[in-house]
Amino acid sequence: MVYRLIKLSDLNLEDRRFRFTLNPVDQRLLRSVGAIGVLQPVIITARQDRQVLVDGWRRVEAARSCGLEELPALEIAENIGDLAVLLVAFFENYAKRPFSLAEKSLAIRKFYDFRLGADEIIERFLPLLELPPEGRMLELMLEVSLLGERFLEVIHRRDWKPVTVELLLGFPEAERAWLLSLIEKLTRNQQREIIENFYLLKRKTGKCLEDLAREEKLAGLTGRLLKGEISAADRLLAALREENSPLLSGLHRAIEAEVRTLGLPPKVRLDYDRALEETILRISLEAGEVTDLKEALQSLSETLEKKEWRRLFQLLHYEGE
Amino acid sequence: MAGLRIKKVWVDRKVEKDGLTRKLLDGLAGRPVEIVDSVEAVRRFIRQHSDPVGESKQHLFITAQPSFIRPCPCTPGCLGCGYWTIDLDLNCPFDCSYCILQDYLDGQPLTVAVNREQLGSELEEFFKQRPSGITRIGTGELADSLALDELTENSVFLIERFRDRPGFWLELKSKAGLPPALLRVSPADNVVLSWSLNPQAVIASEEKGTAGLEERLRAASRAVGHGYRVGFHFDPILHYPGWHQDYERVVEAIFRLVPVEAIAWVSLGSLRFPPGLLPLARRRFPQSRIYEHEFIRSAEGKYRYPRPLRQWLYRQLAEMFAGFGAEDRLYLCMETVEVWREFYGKIKRGRQNLAFPFPWQC
Ligand code: SF4
Repeated sequence: MVYRLIKLSDLNLEDRRFRFTLNPVDQRLLRSVGAIGVLQPVIITARQDRQVLVDGWRRVEAARSCGLEELPALEIAENIGDLAVLLVAFFENYAKRPFSLAEKSLAIRKFYDFRLGADEIIERFLPLLELPPEGRMLELMLEVSLLGERFLEVIHRRDWKPVTVELLLGFPEAERAWLLSLIEKLTRNQQREIIENFYLLKRKTGKCLEDLAREEKLAGLTGRLLKGEISAADRLLAALREENSPLLSGLHRAIEAEVRTLGLPPKVRLDYDRALEETILRISLEAGEVTDLKEALQSLSETLEKKEWRRLFQLLHYEGE
Repeated sequence: MAGLRIKKVWVDRKVEKDGLTRKLLDGLAGRPVEIVDSVEAVRRFIRQHSDPVGESKQHLFITAQPSFIRPCPCTPGCLGCGYWTIDLDLNCPFDCSYCILQDYLDGQPLTVAVNREQLGSELEEFFKQRPSGITRIGTGELADSLALDELTENSVFLIERFRDRPGFWLELKSKAGLPPALLRVSPADNVVLSWSLNPQAVIASEEKGTAGLEERLRAASRAVGHGYRVGFHFDPILHYPGWHQDYERVVEAIFRLVPVEAIAWVSLGSLRFPPGLLPLARRRFPQSRIYEHEFIRSAEGKYRYPRPLRQWLYRQLAEMFAGFGAEDRLYLCMETVEVWREFYGKIKRGRQNLAFPFPWQC
């Protein structure tokens, strides 16, 4: 590799054949480049009489934003093939940070397109990327790489796991786009759960997402979320969970109704296993003094004859469809 | 072996000259054979495939196992039934949508161990070390006990080892028909041939390659006719619209062909699976509806039906068995203490020892 100073205007940044990293430029890098310029050389190579960037996309972007005209570069000889150059880009970044799933998919796609054998990708590169060395993982990654920039950006930013992407790929393209608009700004867990719940609901009902989203319980919430009201996400999730878990949701509602009618003394709290695997109630009370304790216990024991207690235990012991 | 589809046979170099290896290869004549240094070579080949699980079921690996006998791990938080397992074969040629081996075996081919003499010695040691009480032991934990039996005749080898070993109950558990070799040997009192059962509609949609319900029950009936005790496993019980009627028909069908006295035990267990199975099964069985049900994530991390529903299923099954006076043959598989307690409360049997609920056999 030859070291030299290059003009930013000589770089063909449209040619992204070696780019698979997705981190955008951040303020820290901008401040650093603004203060001392780019010290660490980027890597370039010539293709069809233009300089193509191999590694250093963030540095180049930062340099442009800071109005630099030149920056240091290491040039890989033109006669080195695309695959060998990609390996440089890959390992140069590999040591620096773990890649997101989106970046892994792009790297694999490029290896594949540059004719690296499927066997070698599976045996050598999937384990390097902490992915199972299986043919089906190669297929999944190739599919992910084609999802489009907007999706890849969300997958990257929220650090999605393969299982979520796989579920997403189970939706037709138009539904994927709708889902993306719905979840784009949410946390990773919210995104995963919404996709999972819509997937299940769709399979159960046989309805398309458009019809599901129009249903009374969901329409308002999806509408609010699509307008950017992120606070609607938790309520949408609760509504979806209720649709997918009718037995437990029904029991929770009934239990909570009994607890409300029971009218417990203010410092007494009831708790139970939300999965309803256990059939016991946990009762806790607050007391700062013996007198508080006596009072709480007395007011609690005064409720014991109420029929709601029996109903509560019946609900906890419920057996049925 | 009907339906056994082996694309290739792989032989571990260390058993290449073994007599049983030769016999197995004769039985598999016509298939390509490759000698390898370890299972890793086979796994590597299988993993390249886009469906490694499906592929693993079509490659047979002949090898020697380092050891065979271990206690059945059950599930943390569940009441164990004191079972031991013999890992003689690994993997299974059948392809059930709910099979946890899909997630567990990670590219392991159908594996047959030929160092049976070592198993014989391990068994002798095992018999010596556990001289009193009842011990149940089976080969159906990481494989189907009889799926490859026409090829290996492992059942005959095992029956001879367990003969005259009272207190040690060998269970051969299967979804296959009855291999002819089992009818050529005389039965032993402590050997139970058992079949996992589900309604025919479930078998057709979820248990690819297995024998149909009728064939399994006829196999059980012939085994009883020959003098064997039999067992049945309702595991996994699946809940779906119309399940009650379907399972009722299965229970009725059992007692049309098999007398209560010949039944050693019947286990009940409802659908459960580790989270890793979910994406795999959805991918491999896109038509299956069983993963669309309501599940909870239990304390040990598995997905299960909610407890109220599990108890309901067990109670309904118990009532069906009670109709034939066979409710005392029932036990629960991988269930919590809470569910065991409620279950035995409901069927009103004062069992002393829930971990092995068959005092009538002691
Ligand atoms: S028969 Fe048993 S071991 Fe074989 S695939 Fe079915 S569940 Fe798995």
